[in-house]
Amino acid sequence: MAQEAHGAFYDLLAVRGVSRRDFLKYCSYVAATLGLAETAAPQIAAALEKGTKLKPALWLNGGSCTGCTESMAQVDSPDVATIVLELLSLNYFETIMAAAGEQAEKNIEDTIADGGYLLIYEGAVMMGEDGNTLLVNGEKGTDILQHAAEGADAILAVGACAVDGGWVYAHPNPAGAVGVQSFLDGVKVKTPVVNLPCCPTSPEWVVAMVVQWLLVADDDPALFLEKTALLAKEYHDNYRDADVSLLYPEYIVGSTIHDNCPRRGHFENGEFVTEFGSEEEAKGYCLYKVGCKGPQTYTQCPVTRWNRSVSWCVNSGAPCIGCGGLNWVDNNAPFFKRLSSMQMGGSLGNVQPGSVAAVVGGVAAAALVAHGLGMKAAGRIGDGPPMEEMKAYDRKHGAKKGGDK
Amino acid sequence: MARTVIDPVTRIEGHLRVECEVKDNEVVDAWVAGTLYRGMETVLLDRSPEDAFYVSQRICGVCPISHSHASSQATEAALGITIPEGARLVRNILECAQFLHSHILWFYNLAALDYVNPINALKANIADTYALAEAAGTRQADFGAVAKRLTAFAENGQLSILTGHYWDHPGYVLPPELDLIATTHYLEALEMQAVANEVVAIVAGKFSHPMTSVPGGTAFVPTVDKLDDILFRLVRVKEFVDTALIPDTLAIAPFILDAATYGGGTGNFLSWGVFEKSDLVPENRYLPRGMSQGLKPEGVSPDDVTEYTNHSWYDSPTGLNPKDGKTNVKFTEYNVDDKYSYGKAVRCKDLSTESGPLARMVVAYLAEKGGADIAGGADVRTPAKLIDSTLEALGVGGKPEILVSLLGRVAARNLEAAYVADLSLVFVNELIAALKGGDVQYWKAAEKADGDGVGAWEAPRGSVAHWIGVKGGKIDHYQIVAPTTWDIAPRDDNGVRGPMEEALVGTPVADAEKPLELLRIAHSFDP
Repeated sequence: MAQEAHGAFYDLLAVRGVSRRDFLKYCSYVAATLGLAETAAPQIAAALEKGTKLKPALWLNGGSCTGCTESMAQVDSPDVATIVLELLSLNYFETIMAAAGEQAEKNIEDTIADGGYLLIYEGAVMMGEDGNTLLVNGEKGTDILQHAAEGADAILAVGACAVDGGWVYAHPNPAGAVGVQSFLDGVKVKTPVVNLPCCPTSPEWVVAMVVQWLLVADDDPALFLEKTALLAKEYHDNYRDADVSLLYPEYIVGSTIHDNCPRRGHFENGEFVTEFGSEEEAKGYCLYKVGCKGPQTYTQCPVTRWNRSVSWCVNSGAPCIGCGGLNWVDNNAPFFKRLSSMQMGGSLGNVQPGSVAAVVGGVAAAALVAHGLGMKAAGRIGDGPPMEEMKAYDRKHGAKKGGDK
Repeated sequence: MARTVIDPVTRIEGHLRVECEVKDNEVVDAWVAGTLYRGMETVLLDRSPEDAFYVSQRICGVCPISHSHASSQATEAALGITIPEGARLVRNILECAQFLHSHILWFYNLAALDYVNPINALKANIADTYALAEAAGTRQADFGAVAKRLTAFAENGQLSILTGHYWDHPGYVLPPELDLIATTHYLEALEMQAVANEVVAIVAGKFSHPMTSVPGGTAFVPTVDKLDDILFRLVRVKEFVDTALIPDTLAIAPFILDAATYGGGTGNFLSWGVFEKSDLVPENRYLPRGMSQGLKPEGVSPDDVTEYTNHSWYDSPTGLNPKDGKTNVKFTEYNVDDKYSYGKAVRCKDLSTESGPLARMVVAYLAEKGGADIAGGADVRTPAKLIDSTLEALGVGGKPEILVSLLGRVAARNLEAAYVADLSLVFVNELIAALKGGDVQYWKAAEKADGDGVGAWEAPRGSVAHWIGVKGGKIDHYQIVAPTTWDIAPRDDNGVRGPMEEALVGTPVADAEKPLELLRIAHSFDP
């Protein structure tokens, strides 16, 4: 029986242009992304081989720019990642689905009625103007999300806007944007939410989480969180005036961009780009002095890279703007100024380098401070603008309006 | 009277509602509404001017590069910066890559499903499919394998993204063999749009949301190696445009010739101009700045823009140019007789004006016919050459007025892709030559801390302009007129319909329950 099922599965993959070898290779990648040993690959393959029935999923767009959808379109095709995505029956996906209007809405209702689906949500949750800042066929976007979330096995909040409102949440948050977890806390929906950071998010991360869900979906969807190595981050949602705890895959947010940056060696050597478009950039020097937020941003960007791993922000010559952090616009702008503060994790808020060592025991944090301060003491980075005590933006607006403090 | 409503309009960026009054199988009135408000212009206030480059582009994840360029141009105008030659070429290459990505994705992966029926492709005879591809001069692939793949997909019983659509609509008229060819190219297009975006990633870190075209120039410093990586990808993409996009357009057009008889809209066209020449003069761009009324060319400036709000959910003053404009949101209720959209009614010279590839190609065509050398002597297929030869091929030579229609809008986008594909190689080669000449500049610092500026540019889907005011080193004014704002505009204070609303009026509707024709009109604007 099992053998037959496997055969059917590989037939399905074969017509979609995927060899058995490609598939197993892909499973190794997924294992790595999930933070598992590569020896877990055969188990992943076995779990995925269980059937040829596609698992249903809904992809809803809230207050989005469609950038995360665009990002998803950038996986290799026909590539194993895409194919495994095809293992989902994406019954609602506004940007690419054929149906529109009534027929499209019926797809949502049918999927919810059948149950056992994964909900992927892109964009901010729009609460402003009494929930009328997003309307779909006269229905508030918030009501649609709540309805779809209640019946879902699990939710992926993809991209900065879905995580905590993203740029839309930035001061003064005129449209009343919040993140998915915060909104669901407010309406007391307990469906588990896994957050995937950055603006846009990485398609590889989405695929990894989809596979993780497929692995457990047939047995017990409740295992989704249990089997995923997760890290919690807390923040205060100023719009709802509530503390929110977010779950992220640990492998994706477990280390800083600075930790994995291929330009790190230049940082150590004191070799910096001080002006855009310069010879130093052609040499690939460190972008710290033009405002790189790599040291305070916890994502896997330098490892995953973007657009089928062709490049990523720092590689193209641009300083990281920290879009993987919480309330990233308020906390990281002005983007070109030197590191204004070193935020060592959401719960600590803005902490200046001098005090970080006193309150943070983490090896990475201490090492980072040693770097920054040590290099400053050595005079190697001392010729830039001074570190700000407080970001100019926060100073002007006060802590209650902008920033995470 | 019966109202036909499509909400949500899918296969677009953002949230759009189309409502039509249909009488005797024809649209007699239409209302188009944007139903999402996020407040970008307000979020930008009080920040450092350079931050607008990174934040404002996030208004749209489908054309972020054009927004980032318009934003940087506005900041540069405000702070007295003239970008250096190296930056001009890098930005042109980046913009080309996004145009190619966007046009390929639009035709095959968004709009094609209004004409192409992948379910019908299952009936195709494989030998006949090859014969048809040969006759049409379009790209061949393993059509048998694709048919097998589709069959497995259909037999699985779960149609995923194809679920629930009206595939039985009489508007699906292509023979199964052509459906199979187009579906095959749908799959290839998924690959090609991504290849185009790999160029974006090399130059700007990633797509969506590019990182490098910062105010002053670019943070990307090309090397011959990097330009090599870019060139071979652009050559691949151009080949796809030449061997699939253009011949497929010509192969499908004869089956939908009635689409040349409606959907034209207001016939007023705007282009801010895109792809800069060395002189940085907007009227001299490779796709030049200009306007057209009744296929007569005229000049245009961002000062000609007015935004009305009487039919929009704002209580800010109506009838202002964006340099004085405000965006104070105030939702009331959806009422087509009063307020019904988050889009403002933007007008140029007080006219309901269409923007996008059709507008750009018309403006460029008229400029060329008036004697302008818009390609600056480069050996490329210019808009006039492309349009004239296409009209000829469809048996309507010498009748450019036929462009002002649904079919014209579809064709213009694909023809523009051919011109842009040619230009992309010109720009890369120019930059390679400049690198060999040595000492190319990519970035300049600001001359002053304060000022006002406008950046008016073109995105794949239409005209984009950003207005910035900087005071005391901070942004104290910011307004954006996004590409889609032009085309999905609601009625203005004089009750005049927006371009998409106007294009919908007169459209035949075979089955009001399955308004395929209305989707075609909406999608033709690539909203």
